[in-house]
Amino acid sequence: MHKEIQIKRYLPEEHAEPFWQTFRVPYDETTSVLGALNYIKEELDSTVSFRWSCRMAICGSCGYMVNGIPKLGCKDFVRNYPAALRIEPLAHFTVERDLMVAMDEFLQHLEAVKPYLIAEPSEPHKPHRQTPAQLAKYKQFANCINCGLCYAACPQFGLNPEFVGPGAIALAHRYNLDSRDQGKAKRMPVLNTHDGVWSCTFVGFCSDVCPKGVDPAAAVNQGKVESAKSMLIQMFRGGA
Amino acid sequence: MAYKPNLQRTWWLQHRFFRAYMLREATVLPLVFLLCSLLAGVYSLTSADAFIAWQGFMAKPWVIVIHTLALLASFYHALTFFQLFPRVMPIRLGDKSVPAVVMIAAQWSGTLTVIALFLWLFGGGL
Repeated sequence: MHKEIQIKRYLPEEHAEPFWQTFRVPYDETTSVLGALNYIKEELDSTVSFRWSCRMAICGSCGYMVNGIPKLGCKDFVRNYPAALRIEPLAHFTVERDLMVAMDEFLQHLEAVKPYLIAEPSEPHKPHRQTPAQLAKYKQFANCINCGLCYAACPQFGLNPEFVGPGAIALAHRYNLDSRDQGKAKRMPVLNTHDGVWSCTFVGFCSDVCPKGVDPAAAVNQGKVESAKSMLIQMFRGGA
Repeated sequence: MAYKPNLQRTWWLQHRFFRAYMLREATVLPLVFLLCSLLAGVYSLTSADAFIAWQGFMAKPWVIVIHTLALLASFYHALTFFQLFPRVMPIRLGDKSVPAVVMIAAQWSGTLTVIALFLWLFGGGL
């Protein structure tokens, strides 16, 4: 079996504008989109550039738009597409070359929400115990692999790149819910702004495309409840 | 060297998910019309003539069509809202979280109870 795969190429040193190139690729039931791209790179055109690494939806490197929908190349299969495939770089990001995007905007937002445990352990050399119930509160949001598919799915991020966005807010929420963390007061000022949780209009497509079932839309909108509480508390304290 | 594609104004036409989202947001339009109609009704209470004119306005077929649309729109909005609610306000009882389907059923039961109460109060019984 063969499939026509169109790739949106961008070779800035040769062409000022991106262009489409079609490849004919053999496939079977087990061929992933990433597998097809690797076949193109190895057998048809070695100049095609794309990121990938683990091939098992852990590293989050191989995010592309496949027929207009953000997908992980390793978790999506050629057999899912009866017609031709059109592969583009992730939407809403700056494209550097072929299917490779600059993730800088996402990484800046991620850094801004301090996605790590902020805590002063009372006894530094002892393990900080957590019950299964405390783990269950945030576990779903801890599955994020920073692939950026949710950003490519979010029209609000497409319209306003200053929006902190689903992935970073989901991770901020994950640490806010962690019983070992004491950094909520440092994260909330970022989430409370218009470009924080309030830019989200619950389109919800981010959760649909998330390959790890994180449900970032739920995290962002739970963040709105937290943000409203945080702003109200600040108001009564006279700090708003 | 790099390029960044602009999001086109027609982005919401590209996928059925976005079209469903825009439909949900558009439910506000007939509801705004209904609210304006009701506000006009409140203002018309200042004089008998105005109130009779307002009753005539409310009986016009096109007004009834928009108000019927507002009813359907509010049901559709409720449907989407009730589905999203368990994700925004998850409820945990002890170690267990309340299943989404229970929360959705509880919200619909509440809605139907209020509808039944209004029918009983203003509609001369069920």
